[in-house]
Order: sequence, then structure tokens, then C-alpha cells
Amino acid sequence: MGHEQDEFADFYRASKDSCLRAVTAVTGDRELAEEQVAEAFTRAWTSWGKVRRHAAPRAWVVRTALNLGVSWWRRRHREVPLAEHDAAVPAGPNDGVDPALIAALRRLPARQREVLALRIFLDLDTETTAKVIGVAPGTVMTHLSRAVAALRRDLSTANTEVIQ
Amino acid sequence: MNEHDDVIGLVRESFSGLRMDAPVESVFARSRIRRRRRLSGLTAAAAAVAGAATAMTLTLGGPAPARSGNPPPSSPGPVTLAAFSVTNGPGDSTTLILYKGPKYPALDPTALREALAQHGIPALVTVGTFCRSADGAPAGLGQVVHPSNLADGMVIDGQAMPPGARLSIGYFSGAVRMALIEDGAPLSCGTTSQEPAVHITPSGSPIR
Repeated sequence: MGHEQDEFADFYRASKDSCLRAVTAVTGDRELAEEQVAEAFTRAWTSWGKVRRHAAPRAWVVRTALNLGVSWWRRRHREVPLAEHDAAVPAGPNDGVDPALIAALRRLPARQREVLALRIFLDLDTETTAKVIGVAPGTVMTHLSRAVAALRRDLSTANTEVIQ
Repeated sequence: MNEHDDVIGLVRESFSGLRMDAPVESVFARSRIRRRRRLSGLTAAAAAVAGAATAMTLTLGGPAPARSGNPPPSSPGPVTLAAFSVTNGPGDSTTLILYKGPKYPALDPTALREALAQHGIPALVTVGTFCRSADGAPAGLGQVVHPSNLADGMVIDGQAMPPGARLSIGYFSGAVRMALIEDGAPLSCGTTSQEPAVHITPSGSPIR
């Protein structure tokens, strides 16, 4: 147990920031992402025997966090009567992340955001990304190209607007 | 991936300040709370099964179970309902239950704040308004507040509160909102997201 705990602690320390960044990039909401990632790590620890043998344990955490989704958030906060918790209040700052970038990411289709997050923040290669999200490697390349092209277009427009 | 490097670098750089501050101990604590809750659920289920078996024995005319402890009082005493309860457990955590409905009195925010303080949980309790740090909430609400098995209850882990943080509890008739706030930091408070904010002093009094 002690060895497993140490092993998990090392994994957590090395992965928590990148997992949080990946989930925030997909959800666009840092607070929600932090809750989801904390829950996903708790589940990872509960199933550590299985997760440690996963091809990409950090991707397991990110996928679990994303799969929790908004329904988990709503259900959980109904259980603890926090149904409106922060929902009616504008989201807080995302720790220095450019709001224009967050907005541009949110305009991407969910699958493109996910591919982008796995490639950028978890450094997964095309094959592993494809395996993790259950699509063909070619589909990953297509999603990535489209996401990058849309971001480049969006961000250059935003910069132009600022300059003018 | 070379042709994407500029955009990928920009995204990576932009998110580089985002950090998860919660220590690994909070994951272990969360897992422990869940295991305890599961075990207590199993214990309650076993007790329910035992109770059902006893009831069945009585219904079928079997021997009555031996009574232990004091006999029940002949008539129930007066019951004073409260708007909240703050109790120890599970483990080192604290369970807060907020009761709502016509039979319960209005929540006294000062009484709740003092009760939480006795359990080592610094809080700002407001009724009909909700305050959060104007500069963004300190991270870690998910490590501090957990769902409870009890209806209308929540488990608060005071030890998981970041140093210098307080729990802001906004009590509304239809909901309760919570956030971590930083001591001394400017607060932004509002009755709803549409209405103008009011300023709340550190003691919890609103200034309109």
C-alpha cells in the first residue's frame, strides 16, 4: 500500500497541472475543470491497480474528468443543494489564460478541442491519441489540422481587431 | 506537426500559468471519505435488513427481541427546530446540513458563521446575497466541500482549506452557493448575476 501510495503521489504531482490545463482547454471553465480533475484523480487512486497499467494514465484521468461532464456537476450539486453554485455568476479569471484564446477554443467542436488538448498538454502522439479517444489516426490528424487552422484564423482576427 | 508549431506553442504558453494547487493528500482524503461513506451505507443497509427481520419476527408471532437501554419517554418533549446543524464527522471533517421550509426558522448567518468557526472553518455567511473574491476564487473548493449522504447535507473538510482562505456561503431560498474567498481581498457580491453588487465588510454586514 505504501509503495502504491508513493507511486500514485509521484504520478499525481507530475500530472496534475497538465491534466488541469487539458480539461480547462476543453471545458473553458477552470473551476469546473479543477473539480472534474480532482474527482478523476480520486477515481484513478481508487482504481490505481488498473490505471497504472493503462497505456497513457494521464489521458485516462483527462478522459474520466471530461466524461464526468456537466451532468455529474449538476447531479452532484443537487445532492448537496448547490444547484446554482456559481452557475449564475460570471466565471472567474482562468489564471492568465487569454480570454480570446478561451473563446476561440470554445468555438471549436468538442472532439477537436479534445484532440488538441491531448496533443498539446499530454504530448500524446497520433497513435495514442487515436487509441484513447477511439478513432482512426487519420481522423486525429484531420481534427488537429482543422482545430489549428480555426484557432490561427480566430486569433489573427482578434489581434487585428485589437491593433485597429 | 511542424506546420502547427506556432499555434500549439501559443496555446501551451498561454496555459502555462494554470496550476492545480491541491496536494495529493486531498485525493487520499477524498477517497477515504468516500470509502467511509460506502461502509456506513453498508452498515445502515445491514441494520435495515436486521430491523426488517425483527419486524418480520414480530409480525409472524415470534419472540419479541430483548429491550436494551432506557425505555422511551411516555410523551415526546418539545422540539426546537433549527435552520442548520453542524456536526463532527465523517472522520476529521464536519457535516453541515441546511434545513429549508416553512417549519424551520430563517437562517441566522452569524450563528452559522460562529458554529463553523468552532469547527475550525472560517466562513462568510450571507443570506440573499453571495460574495466571491473580485480577483478570482482561490483554488481548491472541490477539496473542501464534498457531497454528503444526508439530504441537504454537505461535508466540509476544514483542513483542506488553503491558508488565508474562507468559505463564502450564499444562502438563497432556492439554492446555496459556495466559493472560497481570500481574507482581505476585495469581494464582489450580488443578489443575482443581474443585480448590482453590494459590498460586504469582513464581519459580514452589507453596505449598500
